[in-house]
Amino acid sequence: MTSARTNYAMVRTLILKDWYLNRWMILGSIPAGLASLAIVLTGKQIAFLLSIILLCMVIIGVGAQLATVTTINERKEQTLAFIISLPVSWREYTAAKILANLIIFLVPWFIVSVGALLVLLLPGATHGLIPFTAIMAVEMLVTTCLIIAAGVITESQAWVTVAILCSSLGINILGYVFAHLRGVSAYMWGMQVRWTGTAWTVLIAELLMVPLLLGMTFYIQSRKTDFL
Amino acid sequence: MGLVRQDSGSVEMLGHRMPCEQTAAKLDIGYVSEDMRLYGVATVAWHMNFIASIYPRWNQTYADALLSRFDLKPQQKIKGLSHGQRVKAALLLALAREPRLLLLDEPTTGLDPVARREVLAELMAVLTDEHRTILFSSHNTLDVEQISDRIAFIDRGRLIALEDKEDLLDRWRRIRLLVPPSAVLPQLPGVVEVSGSERLPVLTTSQFNPAVVSLCQDRGTTVQSVDPMTLEEIFVANVQSRRELQPA
Repeated sequence: MTSARTNYAMVRTLILKDWYLNRWMILGSIPAGLASLAIVLTGKQIAFLLSIILLCMVIIGVGAQLATVTTINERKEQTLAFIISLPVSWREYTAAKILANLIIFLVPWFIVSVGALLVLLLPGATHGLIPFTAIMAVEMLVTTCLIIAAGVITESQAWVTVAILCSSLGINILGYVFAHLRGVSAYMWGMQVRWTGTAWTVLIAELLMVPLLLGMTFYIQSRKTDFL
Repeated sequence: MGLVRQDSGSVEMLGHRMPCEQTAAKLDIGYVSEDMRLYGVATVAWHMNFIASIYPRWNQTYADALLSRFDLKPQQKIKGLSHGQRVKAALLLALAREPRLLLLDEPTTGLDPVARREVLAELMAVLTDEHRTILFSSHNTLDVEQISDRIAFIDRGRLIALEDKEDLLDRWRRIRLLVPPSAVLPQLPGVVEVSGSERLPVLTTSQFNPAVVSLCQDRGTTVQSVDPMTLEEIFVANVQSRRELQPA
């Protein structure tokens, strides 16, 4: 099922459609995110950690919820036939679903990730945490891509729930594993930033997972013979 | 429509190969099916704007006229509409984009008589434009008989008949005969079913013409009546005779 070329205007229309239909959920996450950020302003270390945890919950929560609603509901509420009957190819539909979800996730993810890194760069902060923070930030991106891929490919509540569970467990387990890797843990609590070979390997492997997951989504969608 | 890939062969729609040229083809197609739903949380007006942003030929004047004819309100949310109103909203979105081909899959299923009449009236209005075609699939043969000028029968996924409605209705007849003891039942062309008794047989033929009556009379039988058949009766007789010849 290949089409001659991608109609980007149609992809944009489909993205805006998903954002409009889920606007209250997206807008509702903004005060939650701002409230989490406000905790940082108290200047206490425990507040910083609490803020990061809350922000991660908001970002992952919105990402997972939006992926669930935009992909599964399309089938569950029988609107898929309406959308596919429009002048849209499977490739444009897939691109729109991925981008609609990814952009909503990437905006707060980028702000929080850069914000966290900037805070760690402040004088007196534990600069050694920067590689680990970067690794965990990219890990969040990977898990969100996994949830989006599961949603777009399977359009099944059960499989997306499995993906969300795997992502939650993955973040905790992989976070623990990465924090205990020799090349990461040895310099983590130091005042100097040390980008070791291990840290780079983990980060690059995670970054490669993003195109791999999204590429796999397009490949599997292209092999589908039935969109009903 | 690009929803399902064909098992074999090739599909061409309005000169476009499917599914690789589906986006070009679908610009000229309006599709409505019984199980297709619009977005419940959005209004009729939002759906109209959404479709208008995609189809350059969207006719707002016609859309407004359909809104009033179908008694729909632009600010109504889809989730608050009845089944009949939802079908009419979907039909409005398909009609106002002025497609060359309207694909309607069981659009009148579940509609009350008034809504069904409104929908069929609108479809008949579309058919006054010779450049536009409606492919209408339905189990309700009365609806099909009312608006179609060509009929296709599909049984077990296979096309078993495709021809002009008038030709089809003209070809199929039920012939009631009286066969006296001295005569035998004549061999008539296209007989797919013989029911009744030996003396009063009822023949269903798919190849009726006036000469058949003369042939019966020549063989000493009396033709009591030649009854036209409804589309439903033709479909059932056609399918049953084929299934007897080719069991599943």
